[in-house]
Parts: sequence; C-alpha cells; structure tokens
Amino acid sequence: MERVLSKIAEVTSDPYAYVAGLKERKNKKIIGCFPMHVPEEIVHAADLIPVVIWRGNEPVTWGHAHVPPYDCGITRSFVDDAVRGKLSFMDGFVFHIRQCLQAGEFPFIMERHFKPAYQKILYLPAIYPGDPTRDFALKELESFKTSLEDFTGKMISDDSLKKSIEIYNKNRSLMERVYEIRRAKPEILKAKEVMQIVWSSMLMPKEDHNELLTELIKGMEEKSVKAQKERIKVIPVGCLCQTLQFDILDLIEDLGMIVPDDDLYIGSRYFANPVNLNGNPLKALADRYLTKTPLCPTKGVWDIHWGDEAIKRMRDNDAKGIISVRVKYCPPHTCYYPDFRSKMAEEGVPEVMIEMEHEIISLEGVKTRLQSFAETIGGV
Amino acid sequence: MAIVVGVDVGSLCTKTVILDGDGGILSYDIMRSGHYYKGAADESIESALKSAGLKKSDVSYILGTGYGRGAVAEADAEVTEITCHARGAARLFPEVHTVIDIGGQDSKVIGIGDNGRVINFVMNDKCAAGTGRFLEVMALALSVDIGEMGDLFFASKEKVEVSSMCTVFAESEVISLFAQGHKKADIAAGIAHAIARRIVGMVGQVGLREKVVMSGGVAKNSGVVRAIEERIETRLLVPREPQIVGALGAAIIASERMSATIG
Repeated sequence: MERVLSKIAEVTSDPYAYVAGLKERKNKKIIGCFPMHVPEEIVHAADLIPVVIWRGNEPVTWGHAHVPPYDCGITRSFVDDAVRGKLSFMDGFVFHIRQCLQAGEFPFIMERHFKPAYQKILYLPAIYPGDPTRDFALKELESFKTSLEDFTGKMISDDSLKKSIEIYNKNRSLMERVYEIRRAKPEILKAKEVMQIVWSSMLMPKEDHNELLTELIKGMEEKSVKAQKERIKVIPVGCLCQTLQFDILDLIEDLGMIVPDDDLYIGSRYFANPVNLNGNPLKALADRYLTKTPLCPTKGVWDIHWGDEAIKRMRDNDAKGIISVRVKYCPPHTCYYPDFRSKMAEEGVPEVMIEMEHEIISLEGVKTRLQSFAETIGGV
Repeated sequence: MAIVVGVDVGSLCTKTVILDGDGGILSYDIMRSGHYYKGAADESIESALKSAGLKKSDVSYILGTGYGRGAVAEADAEVTEITCHARGAARLFPEVHTVIDIGGQDSKVIGIGDNGRVINFVMNDKCAAGTGRFLEVMALALSVDIGEMGDLFFASKEKVEVSSMCTVFAESEVISLFAQGHKKADIAAGIAHAIARRIVGMVGQVGLREKVVMSGGVAKNSGVVRAIEERIETRLLVPREPQIVGALGAAIIASERMSATIG
C-alpha cells in the first residue's frame, strides 16, 4: 500500500515531468483533455495517451496577456502554462466548450497563438431532455472519432473502442472499490491521498493505474485501522473541474473532521458509473455522458437538483455536514450556489462554503470558517 | 471559586475577560495586539488579573479565541471567535438571533439559535474594506482621530458616495473627494454607508432575525451603527463595551468546560 501511495504522490507532485516522461517511455502522442467529460476512451482507442489537463501550482504571469484576471484558476493557469512552453509535450487538445463560458475561449486562444498539431472542439449538450440531444451527442462523438482518425491516419475499429471502454470501466470499478473501503474505514487514507489517487488516474495510462489500484486495494482490504468515532464526518462538495487545494483537505482533518466520501470532480465524480457496453460503443459513451455522469451546474436534467444528490451522499455516509468548495470566477458554480445553499437550508443540512482562488488563499480565514463549522455541528 | 479567563487575540486588539465561579465579570482588558500575539495575550491576561486583584495561579481555565487564538500560550483550549461572539452576545442580550461583528481585519454576520449556539455564519476576510482597519485608513486620509468618525457622521449635510469594495481604492476616492471640495463630515458619512452596504449583503446571506447585536471595535462608531440600522431597518443592540464580546464568550465556554470537568 505504501509503495503505491508513494508512486501516486510522485506522479501528482510534478505532473509535467511525469507526462513528459510518459510520452518518451511509451513513444506515443499525448492529447490533453480539458475537464470535464471528454470521453477519453476514444483517444485511448486511437492509440494516443489521453491526460486530463490540470491546474498548475504557480501564479499566472505571461498568460494574462491572453486571458483576463477574472477567469478561473484552471483557465488562466492552463493558458499561462501554454504560453510559457510548459505543455510542449502535448501533441493536441480536446475542449468540451459547452460547460462554461471560459472553456469556450481556449480553442481560439490555442489556435491563434500555439497552433497545436491536433485540436478538437466538442459541443456536448449541457441539458438532457431526451432523444434529440442523444442524437446530437452521438454525432459529436462520431466527429471526434473521425478527427482522431484523420490525425493518426488509422481507423478506430469498434473492437478497439470496446477494448478501451473495458479498460476504463475496470478503472472505474477499481476506484469505486477504493471508495467503498474508505467509506467503511474512513481512517484508512487521508483525504489528500484519495484525491491524489483519482488525479493520478487522470494522468497515468489506465492499464498502469489499474495495476496500481489492484495492489492498493489488496493492501487496504488487509489493513486494519482504529476507528476514530470522535471525528465528525463531513462531505466535501463542488470544485467541479480542478484540483482542490490540498491544504484545505489537510485543514479539515486537522480540525477533527473526517472525510468518508466526496462529491468532487477530482474525486467520486470522475469515475462514477461505468459505460454500458451493449452494441454501438460510441452510443454507449454518449449514453454515459448524457445520463450517468453526475449532475452539476454545467450539466443537468431539469427535474433533478444537484443539492439533493449531495444531501443523499451525506446521509448515506452518516455525515453531519457539507463543505462546499467553490472556485472563484467559476460562472456555472457561482450562479448555481444560491440554489444549492437554499436547498441545504430547506433540508436543515449544515453547510459551509469555502472559496478557492488560484493565487490567493487565506488559510487562516479558511481555518476559522472550517473550525467554526466543526464547532457548530459538534455542539460547542 | 473557579476563576476562568477568555482571551480574544484579534488582528488589531487583544481582549481579556475574567469571570468568577458564578459567571460574573471580575475584570477585563483591551490592548493593541501589535506584531507579537503571544506577548500581547500574556500582557493582556496579566493586566486583567491585576485589575481583579488575582494571580495566575488563581485561574482554573484559559480559553483562547480570535485570529491569534493559537498564540495564547497558556490556553487550555481554543475556540473560534464566531462561536465566542455568539455566546458572548447571548449572555448580554438573551433574545439575540443575529450578531454583526466588525473587527479589525474581518467582518462576520452570525445567525444564532435560542440557546446562543451558532446556526450559520458568513465571514468576509479577503479584503479589509468594511473593517476596523478600513476605518483607520480612512481616518488617516481624513486627518481625524478615529474616535471622531462617528460624530462626523451626524454632522453630515450632503450625500457622498464612497466605494465599498476596496480599502486602497476607497482611500484614493477620499483624496479625490477632498479635491472636489467635499466636507470631512460628508465623506465620513459616505465611509460609514460604504461599510453598511457591505454588511447588509452579508446579513442577507445569513437571514435577518431580531434581535440584532453589533459587536467588535467598529460598533463604537455610532455613525456606522446608524448607517447599518438605516439599511436593515432594524435597531442594533450595542453592548457597553462591544470589543470584549468575543473574550466574554470565550470565558463563558471556559466556565462551561470547568463545570463539566468538576461534574
């Protein structure tokens, strides 16, 4: 278990070096998939390596010539990395631009200034009202597949796509098992370690990650931990397309709370629900996107409230409250938050909101909010 | 007699309250925190003990709170100022359901249940605008003593707008308002309204439930108090010494913990 965690920490501590090294080791092209929801399986089936683009950990400098300072952290950080040549190991990019206004800027900035060898814009529907959107999504995925075939000069067969889906489904089921053990024994992993495990899945070839997870699960099953019943269970929710600052997760635990589960993108949202392989694999991918990826302010179904899902997760885990982590300058999340907060109030669910900003985080202020929250739900 | 101490180490001032075994206030102290919080906490405790005619060895429990709560070297425990302000306000005004606390570096609005326990809260700590530090900077720009700012509000005759979003920009605005020939009193009133606008937004998030208590050093500025009252159309209850509400709450929690220990 320690060996796997140490390998995962190594991958996530410097994703730039890891992915650049990966390209050299595997002698394959790297395609950066902008979060969220790009069906990486199609890239994998094209014999390319898909990696999910991440928010860097440095303040934005030169990138501000291309994006305004009121864009979110991952937007600005990604453009800054590109301007500074930090992403030169990437051969192409896929952007799903329907999810927010800022994601829509990328393809044009990249095309204008960096001219990647491959670039694809996906227009996947944000709301799922029925068959017309299913047909639309399927056509988009067909066009995505064709563009990759044109790029590589090789056809993607149904069989190779099905094989890629199986590998990705295996990763989803292994990740689900990690979460299942953690729900039963929340003390077994630190919240930060769990996030690193999910993040490494976004960076590593899934075959390699599956091997690591198999070893990790064995260790987790065998390891016994002392239950810390005095700790208050809380569920972090939100932070929809970027890495949550690890310091926040550490603070939650340092203040006497414990995280048995989460509703975060670099968390349970990434691997939720497998692709149902039954017939046309592209149709199966479209179905997963439309009906099985967890709801959020960027993708919804009219009659289901994201807040309900979060509350269910909290109650299923016997947790006492929800910590909403919001990214500053994230329009979808910011616009949806008042509804989310009202839902929490209606249901009497204790909730605190922590706002995360790329360059600035006043940890003392975050600590006071989290500690007050722990005191409130702990009855001080 | 179990003597307990609550120490609130704030970014601008450190406050100490000493309670006797029956929960009565024996003494309190307020001093500037400076840049060495541990020293300020020690000195404030010492000063409050001296006023009460007590020695450190008489104290059974010390509870730290405030921005520098971790710096109270001899504290038995620490609790956030949000919880402490709620408890302190409920002791002074048992019918309170909302606390507006504007301190040196941040401002908070706290929703309180019937038992003095926190139900919800919002906190602004990213920007000095609307805090005690903001008032200090503005007083400097107006070349008046900070204690005069409240009186100036009531002498105002003309409405002047000052931005509520940024201390640095607000200071520049004050300078340009002078250049335009506006009077000190009108600018001071504009500053009080700027603070009130920020607070109203926070009250809206927590939900306004009467009675409303205002605590923290800015509550000593009668102009800001009036400006907030006008905007939320509710009378604010202001303790005689609003700066010690957090330290009082800390001392009350210390007292509860002592009672629980004794059984």
